[in-house]
Amino acid sequence: MKILPIISREYRMIVKKKSFLISTLLTPALMAGFIFLPMLFSRMARAEKTICVVDYSGTIAAPLITDSRVNAPELNLIDLPPREVGAEFSMDTYRESLLNKEVDGILHIPGGVRALRKASYYARNISDFETNRYLQETVRAIITRMVLEEQKIDPEVVRDATRNIELETFKVKQEGISRSSSGLDYAMSIFMLTILFTIIMGYGQLIMRGVLEEKNSRVVEILISSTRAVTVFTGKIIGIGLAGLTQVALWILIGAGFILQSSIPVSRGVRSFLTPTLALWFVVFFLVGYFMYAILFSIVGASVNTDQEAQQFAAPISYLLIIPFILGIMVTQSPDSLPVVIASFIPLFTPTLMFMRISVSMPPAGQVWIALFLSMATIWLLAWLGAKIFRTGLLMYGKKPSLREITRWARYR
Amino acid sequence: MSDSLSPVLELRNLVKDFDTKRAVDDVSFDHHRGQILGLLGPNGAGKTTTIRMIMNIIAPDSGEIRVLGQAFAEPLKDRIGYLPEERGLYRKLTVTEILDFFGRLKGMKRREISGKGYQLLKQFDLYRYRDRKLEELSRGMSQKLQFIIAILHEPDLLILDEPFSGLDPVNIEKVKNTILDLKRKGVSIIFSTHLMAYAEKIVDSVVMIHHGKKVLDGPLSRIRSEHGRRLARIVYEGNAEFVADLEYVEQVSDYGREMEIELSGEKHRRHLLRELVTHLDIHHFEMSDPSLHNIFLRQVETPPEEKNPSEGTA
Repeated sequence: MKILPIISREYRMIVKKKSFLISTLLTPALMAGFIFLPMLFSRMARAEKTICVVDYSGTIAAPLITDSRVNAPELNLIDLPPREVGAEFSMDTYRESLLNKEVDGILHIPGGVRALRKASYYARNISDFETNRYLQETVRAIITRMVLEEQKIDPEVVRDATRNIELETFKVKQEGISRSSSGLDYAMSIFMLTILFTIIMGYGQLIMRGVLEEKNSRVVEILISSTRAVTVFTGKIIGIGLAGLTQVALWILIGAGFILQSSIPVSRGVRSFLTPTLALWFVVFFLVGYFMYAILFSIVGASVNTDQEAQQFAAPISYLLIIPFILGIMVTQSPDSLPVVIASFIPLFTPTLMFMRISVSMPPAGQVWIALFLSMATIWLLAWLGAKIFRTGLLMYGKKPSLREITRWARYR
Repeated sequence: MSDSLSPVLELRNLVKDFDTKRAVDDVSFDHHRGQILGLLGPNGAGKTTTIRMIMNIIAPDSGEIRVLGQAFAEPLKDRIGYLPEERGLYRKLTVTEILDFFGRLKGMKRREISGKGYQLLKQFDLYRYRDRKLEELSRGMSQKLQFIIAILHEPDLLILDEPFSGLDPVNIEKVKNTILDLKRKGVSIIFSTHLMAYAEKIVDSVVMIHHGKKVLDGPLSRIRSEHGRRLARIVYEGNAEFVADLEYVEQVSDYGREMEIELSGEKHRRHLLRELVTHLDIHHFEMSDPSLHNIFLRQVETPPEEKNPSEGTA
């Protein structure tokens, strides 16, 4: 069984590397960071701010400051009445204190604010959307109240009339109905899809570089003079695939540990989403996607001579993965629309798209099995072609092959 | 063991084309058990392509190869040792891991690998580096390791493509002695080189190829005697330009103070000597066997159809 040393070498080459451990821990953290952090960030990172309110109307500053003590305690609003009533507002007066960081912002409320519906906010940082939104909303509310009071309308009546409604979301699955926030589900689906995409791509490229390295260091000559090219090819793909599977298994363990930790607030929502069934599907589609793309990438690695050439050939393959990934992100809106259903049957798209459909709402089982069957057939076909191209390509040194030559290699004995 | 007279390797009318270039053109030769065969020729002559066809790495366009008495079959790979011309191993593996990997690829058991492997590592002064990664070793060390891999599984047939390239004189000596040791144990060896001076010290027979064609083959002793003692080596002072114009001189390699002169026949030795003492101050004069280098030069300068090639072996 000469395939065993090849499998074991490939496996250990990856798993023993420090980068394996780092990427195992870091990838989920980074992905989670990209997807969940922006949601949390805007709420958490609100530093204290001192803002002077220059109120020419004389009606806004006082209620604004009162409101801020309750609703925006991190804002320290100071009433700074205009020096001379009736004079034009000029920023020159305040520029120094802003630039010296004595204050963080100047809110100018013009005399005719009620009619104009306009105020100006001067600050060194105007990208703090939370503060901008608070100032805008609160000034608007104060004016609304003033208008209502003038018209002798009870503000409570208006509030009651314009009250928002809450839309509760429930997810209906085989296992039953669970209450979950659609935002979290959406984020989780994309999170899983991103990880799937990243590892299929990552391990595919890994195999490509490995093959290219063996080709360039001429190790292949010893390999092929010791065993069959098919054995080398299969051993490589299985070995690296096992390394990928190990990583996925570690992620599932980490994920399980995280979910069972009920003290973390989001874990309940994640638990209802990330069921063991979904984890199993994740493994299945990782394997399907891995085999499909690993074969393609290993053919590239065997056919070319330099990293640059490899990148050129790898780019179209990457697009094949990126297209369904982007489609997949859009699927969450309408997982059962006809174009999506059709696309999820295209073998090269199945691993990402069908998994995405499953994660959003389980499609009919028949569709899943048909897609899997088509993918398996494709893998079988690719492996058959790949082994032949691999054998010939490995020993072709020198010039960059054309696509036509590569297809000709597939016909060699 | 089969009959010691049967060839371990038979090549018949091998042809291989690459695009428009014919890399190997109708090459045939035999190699006999327990002998060392030198596959000689300049860079680009077709040596490596021939070897790759023997190793079944590439297929010939036409012709036949029989290895160890049979057409190439997968199990034969375990009985052949191969050192490719271009060297490379896994840079991130340790010496022990590399031996283990390639040993198992040749069908060896773990225990056999460490026994034989450590013995060879000691022999080549690599034992104390056994836990180092290849990338930490010098070029010469990794060349030696690659040689060890070729002989680790005790092959019956050993094929070495330019085994001395990249080695310092001390290690060339080590590799050379190991090759001779293996020959004594009955291993059949082929090695290719463009450095004929190394080859003539150890080979039993020779196959010379040039532009893909075989120009000469046979046992070294016979080739030498056929070409006679027609080479004069002299050490001299003076202007020796006239030597090349003498009618019985076929070829001259002038190094300024030393000169190699090839005569058209042994009988011209006296004429030459007379001319030399008349015109030059001679410090040294000797007649010797032609070197493989000289023989090769003469072969490639005569168009193939004009010479009388010594086909087959005795």
